[in-house]
Amino acid sequence: MSDTPHPVSAQPVKSRRQFLRTAGGGLAGASLLTMLDAKKAPAQIKGTTLRILQWSHFIPAYDSWFDSKFTKEWGDKMGVKVRVDHIPHLELPARMAAEYAAGAGHDIIMNGSSILTRLYYKSLVDISDIYDGIGKKGGGWIPSAGPLVQVEGRTYGIPMFYILLPMLWRKDLFDANNLKAPDTWELARVAARTLKAKGHPTGIQFSQCADANLNWRSLLFSFGGAEADASGNNILIDSKETREALRFAKALFDEGMTPEVFSWDDASDNRFLASGVGCWIHDAISAYRTTEDTNPDVFKNTHIALEPAGPGGKRVSTSAANVYMIWKFSKNQPAAKEFLTHFMSEFKEGMIQSRGYNMPYLLGDAKKPMPIIGADAKMAILQDFPPLVAFYGYPGPFTTPIQEVVNLFVLPDMFTRVARGQAIEDVMKWGVGEYRRIFSKHKSA
Amino acid sequence: MTTASLSGGPEPRAAAVSLPVRATGRSWWQTATARRLSFGYLLLAPAALYVLLLVGAPFLFSLWLAVSDANVGDPVARFVGLENFRAAWEMDTFWIAMRNSVVFLVVAAIFKSLLGTSLAFLLLQNFRGKKLIRGLVVIPFTLPVAISVLSWKWMYDSQFSVINWVLSRLGLIGGYGSESWPVWLGQPGLALMACIAVNVWRTFPFSAIVLLAGFTAVPLEVLDAAKVDGCSFFQRFRNIVVPMIFPILMIGFLFDTVFTLSDLSVVYLLTQGGPGNATKILPVLAYQIGIQAGNLGRGAAIALFLVPLLFPMLFLVLRNIKRKEW
Repeated sequence: MSDTPHPVSAQPVKSRRQFLRTAGGGLAGASLLTMLDAKKAPAQIKGTTLRILQWSHFIPAYDSWFDSKFTKEWGDKMGVKVRVDHIPHLELPARMAAEYAAGAGHDIIMNGSSILTRLYYKSLVDISDIYDGIGKKGGGWIPSAGPLVQVEGRTYGIPMFYILLPMLWRKDLFDANNLKAPDTWELARVAARTLKAKGHPTGIQFSQCADANLNWRSLLFSFGGAEADASGNNILIDSKETREALRFAKALFDEGMTPEVFSWDDASDNRFLASGVGCWIHDAISAYRTTEDTNPDVFKNTHIALEPAGPGGKRVSTSAANVYMIWKFSKNQPAAKEFLTHFMSEFKEGMIQSRGYNMPYLLGDAKKPMPIIGADAKMAILQDFPPLVAFYGYPGPFTTPIQEVVNLFVLPDMFTRVARGQAIEDVMKWGVGEYRRIFSKHKSA
Repeated sequence: MTTASLSGGPEPRAAAVSLPVRATGRSWWQTATARRLSFGYLLLAPAALYVLLLVGAPFLFSLWLAVSDANVGDPVARFVGLENFRAAWEMDTFWIAMRNSVVFLVVAAIFKSLLGTSLAFLLLQNFRGKKLIRGLVVIPFTLPVAISVLSWKWMYDSQFSVINWVLSRLGLIGGYGSESWPVWLGQPGLALMACIAVNVWRTFPFSAIVLLAGFTAVPLEVLDAAKVDGCSFFQRFRNIVVPMIFPILMIGFLFDTVFTLSDLSVVYLLTQGGPGNATKILPVLAYQIGIQAGNLGRGAAIALFLVPLLFPMLFLVLRNIKRKEW
């Protein structure tokens, strides 16, 4: 026997149990991916029930298609019974909390606007594998998709679609008054000032509703403002850009709006446009569709513009995100994963059924011409939005402190306070204080 | 010792109690008293269980949440002492919500008392269709809150408000877009009053029904005697009716206070607490922080601030009822 030490392998030695576990896991994963790819039903999902909870879509026809055709056909093919429940989008966070507390409920749950990935990720299934697979197949995800569903390098949700809030403007009124299309916020303000005097004011919600959270962020971000840095930990709201945006909003209110905007909810601006009074609104295309259905004359003259540019030419469109997640307590995770993969592969059909309302996170689906909107001269501009899309917390991710900031309507309240006549510095002091208080609380927790 | 016992005869009472027990060998549990008591407790058990399981347990749980850092997505919560209360205390919005809750409670109570009493008196009168009307007046109270509040939302709409259009047609305000056109849910003072009005509309029939039950329990002979003695309507009301129905009044008041202070739905559906927190009340704030933002601990702490508001009231009311009963 020599004195030289025995060579030690650089690789850790695996026990037989570890080897079997690793090999088994790999085999199961490979089988699932193969089956997903081949669109065959894995044997274990046959005869099971898949329960999905989602919002009541703003385009009711979408829900009819989704419930009675799309899920039914998939279920028949896979041998899975699919049950879809709908609730109003504002109730989703409460239902999610209830299901989490009970440890029972649906297999797939949707988050609409309030994306709660970071609150619940410990109770959600890590679906990094299918997220990556879908992304690869669909030409990649738009950059803002990942932060919605990723926590600590893992993915806990599938971004299903987002909702744009573009500028909807009355071309007839603009033309009659020699006004330029609202391509910048400044042009929009000039138009509002001119047209309010002629009985056609504009309006954006100075109230506590989802649209107020989205619209004022679009304006703020296009003015160069920001909420948090890329890490999501540091507040960036205390800036000269925020002050500029507040100053602009005050002028926009004084010159181009009436006090009714203080009472508006998410649907008020739809009615305002459809009534023929509004000269422009900044809202989802459900307003455009409502006008089409209720006032064809106004609809004929309603056009859609690209997100208006701020003073520096920057355009940021804050959109309402929608995400699907799978609960860890779900007893039917394979079927849930299979369904989500199928849902994303059929995205274009969903976009058609939603009349162009559902916008794609996948770059492949975002290629021109997109269904519905690519075939409509007025809506075609929506195809240019994907690079401009941002979500709450921009340029940072949608973190839990941002979630609280959004739910307490801190940012819309800052704009409301300024519009009501409070000094900008006082409002900044209050607003920044609220951001700091919320962020520090979450940091200490 | 009695004369009978001294004389060697049986002690009648002792015989009546002890002899049968000895004769049959029954334990205390088999006596009539025990059976009566057991039956009594059995009847009480559902109510006691209900209070313990559905009121006591959630209350204790919310106390635990309030002193923990619990959030909706984390199964593990740490004890943080009074940190959540301190955090709420430091919130500007908390104090606005507290002030609004008190204003909401007081104003709503005043209007519900006035309207409830008037309606109860009206329903006491004899007129054709009285039973039908009695059924109809409770409709606001029995309608699902979501439906009734959404109807009000339409009536308060900034553009299509039927209230405004009627007022405008009557010449009391200008047309849509004019300075005098009220924006019910958009002007801070008006918005809070509009929310209170809906709460009053929904629940004053409850006050009326409670009062009506009390009024009908007052013996007519007493009122007639007072009439003969020359008491006016208000003297009869103040000196006879109110003292006689005082316990009912207090219980009604207590219920009403609890319903009003914990009413989340009216404000949430009408304004979500806006514009600019002008209608934010404690239950809405607790819901937004606890459920929507996921911070259960702080949400529970904010909700528990309702207890110091309610507790003195509860104490006073129950003490007064007890005094009147004595």
